[in-house]
Amino acid sequence: MKKSDKAKKEREILVALAGNPNSGKTSLFNSIVGTHLKVGNYPGVTIEKTEGALKYGGYKIIFVDLPGTYSLSPYSPEEVITRNFIVEEKPDVVLNVVDGTNLERNLYLTTQIMELGANMLIALNMYDEVLQQGTKIDLKQLQKVLGCHIVPTIATRKQGLDKLLEHIVKIYERKIVIAKNKLSYDPQEKDLTVLAESRYAFINGAVKETVEYLDKPIKTITDWIDTIFINRLLGIPIFLFIMWAIFQLTFKLGEYPMGWIESAIVFLSELVSGVLPEGWFASLLVDGIIAGVGGVISFLPNILLLFLGISFLEATGYMARAAFVVDKLMHKIGLHGKSFIPMLTGFGCSVPAFMACRTLKNPADRITTMLIIPFMSCGAKLPVHLLLIGAFFPEHISGNVLFGVYMFGILMALLSAFVLKKFLFKGESEPFVMELPPYRAPTIGYLLIQMWIKAQLYLKKAGTIILLVSIVLWGLTTFPSLPEDYPGEMSQIEYSLAGRAGKLIEPVIKPLGFDWKIGIALVSGVAAKEVVVSTLGTIYALDDADIEDEEATALKDRISSDPVFTLPTVLALLVFVLLYVPCLAATAVFHKEAGSWRYTALYFGYTCGVAWLAAFLVQRIGSLFF
Amino acid sequence: MLLTELGKKEKARIVRIKRQGRADIAVRLTDMGLVKGVKLELIRRAPLGDPLEIKTGNFLLLSLRREEAEIIEVEKL
Ligand SMILES: Nc1nc2c(ncn2[C@@H]2O[C@H](COP(=O)(O)OP(=O)(O)OP(=O)(O)O)[C@@H](O)[C@H]2O)c(=O)[nH]1
Ligand SMILES: [Mg+2]
Repeated sequence: MKKSDKAKKEREILVALAGNPNSGKTSLFNSIVGTHLKVGNYPGVTIEKTEGALKYGGYKIIFVDLPGTYSLSPYSPEEVITRNFIVEEKPDVVLNVVDGTNLERNLYLTTQIMELGANMLIALNMYDEVLQQGTKIDLKQLQKVLGCHIVPTIATRKQGLDKLLEHIVKIYERKIVIAKNKLSYDPQEKDLTVLAESRYAFINGAVKETVEYLDKPIKTITDWIDTIFINRLLGIPIFLFIMWAIFQLTFKLGEYPMGWIESAIVFLSELVSGVLPEGWFASLLVDGIIAGVGGVISFLPNILLLFLGISFLEATGYMARAAFVVDKLMHKIGLHGKSFIPMLTGFGCSVPAFMACRTLKNPADRITTMLIIPFMSCGAKLPVHLLLIGAFFPEHISGNVLFGVYMFGILMALLSAFVLKKFLFKGESEPFVMELPPYRAPTIGYLLIQMWIKAQLYLKKAGTIILLVSIVLWGLTTFPSLPEDYPGEMSQIEYSLAGRAGKLIEPVIKPLGFDWKIGIALVSGVAAKEVVVSTLGTIYALDDADIEDEEATALKDRISSDPVFTLPTVLALLVFVLLYVPCLAATAVFHKEAGSWRYTALYFGYTCGVAWLAAFLVQRIGSLFF
Repeated sequence: MLLTELGKKEKARIVRIKRQGRADIAVRLTDMGLVKGVKLELIRRAPLGDPLEIKTGNFLLLSLRREEAEIIEVEKL
């Protein structure tokens, strides 16, 4: 190693953030490094380690955010990640983030970090709540008892960060010495019960000596909210109401900005058609790109509202309550209340939901939950639902229809879990000991930034994969061109490559009431679910262009005048899109997380099979009534 | 008596965690701070009757299922 390299290397400080779930590690990491990683007020938000660096005092301090863990016993994957990181990477400083409102339980992990002999620094987080509760902590004395330094922090308000950084550098420079002989018991103890009891005995001693609680604990806001929200009678109705309200808002509030975007798109396509001479280039722009990508972009406001709703649930602490309320039901079908959290996350996007399944420790539970997540309609399927509902249902019931679609998805997910657990993935479900964190008000800034990130991602997706697919589809629907003197009735699209391919698969989807146009949209929708919308946009724009002097209109007006869409067909299509296989990106993540082709094949076959069957039944039963 | 036999709003202290049978549950309970000597209060049962919600320490709310609560022996305070 060159000398300069070595000098550079020496100026790096590696800091690991370790602590109980929900103690605020990621919030602290975000505040220090300036990132916007996901935080949420329930245990198990972070599932992968993340690095971030900062220049401070002539050093490059590298922070590593780790999944939260209650102990270092090598049981669950997250605990193993954290343990291995501390033992193998030997970080210069282990920053133990402690939830100050829960000292006894949080210090259990602290004793285990002390047992490893790490250079520990404690961030006593949630200090605002500690003060609010009237708890007095004698920091000086607690430092003495534990043998390390303690910095009070309020991660969400960026308080205590400077002091934290100062301490990290001092520990690195050995200006702060950490006493490593403070434990009052033998950490080598073989009997694990005895070991655990001695740890708690040590902690109780320390807490008794240094912490003074308010004599009579007052009834907290959380206690008040919970007496209503998870009340025996109201718990379930309130849960349903919250879900209903989110979908109503997604629909109703999103309608106005969506209308503006739609008019802008119609205006743009008329402008382009007016300026450019008629020909393939104008058609590519107007029918391919504007009709395709534009149709997708117009749903941006709804998507953002849905994500806002989910982020709100995650940030306030209601997620853990939802798991509490439905656990019995989940238990009956053989799953875990905690499975419900990834399922709700799946309303946003299946990718993080598949990953969140890592918090489920039992492999049978985990794979089952992963297999049913596709039925939790993701944000990308939302535009398809909105398009169909907007085009075919009267306005005053549209929000309820949307809610119904999502509820149908949950129902199918629960049914599937029951069947899968019963026949394929038997096994005892894991213990359900879960912390219910106090309710916390989300910061507006955090919510806005999350919206902003989601908006960027959505637009990026519209500008890349959806644009690409739109162009390809325009090509496939435009070529080869129909000869002028073609004998008989035939439209350009039917003659094109896509049209022929659509006709080829039509027999498979005919029983569902779908024609070849819907077939093309569904097949291309495997790339990304919004593509179903953009493809229909392109097909119907081209179809319209066949008719002379037709004025440009919004897609939903175009499809609502196509006779193929009878009510049973619309319902069957809603159900099919709701249930069939998620996009390629999500499928790749599923494969990686499940780790076997067998599971991926099952996932593909199961989702598509169930979608077909359910759509078939809807079509059949619907035809009896309408 | 067992934790499951506790009525709403009743306070108790843990006497013993039974370890036979599901050792994984006992370990999990220990990690979460439920050990001998800890005081707790039964806050409520979930709408469908299970799981239970308890408060330990001063502020910590935990939810556990009947089958987990059954291995916790308590004495009423
Ligand atoms: N009042 C208050 N809330 C905080 C503080 N720090 C974090 N929070 C909130 O506590 C919750 C948990 O924060 P996270 O940063 O996600 O916790 P974590 O330790 O990364 O959690 P896991 O990833 O699940 O292990 C969030 O709702 C934060 O907004 C703080 O100092 N004061
Ligand atoms: Mg985190």
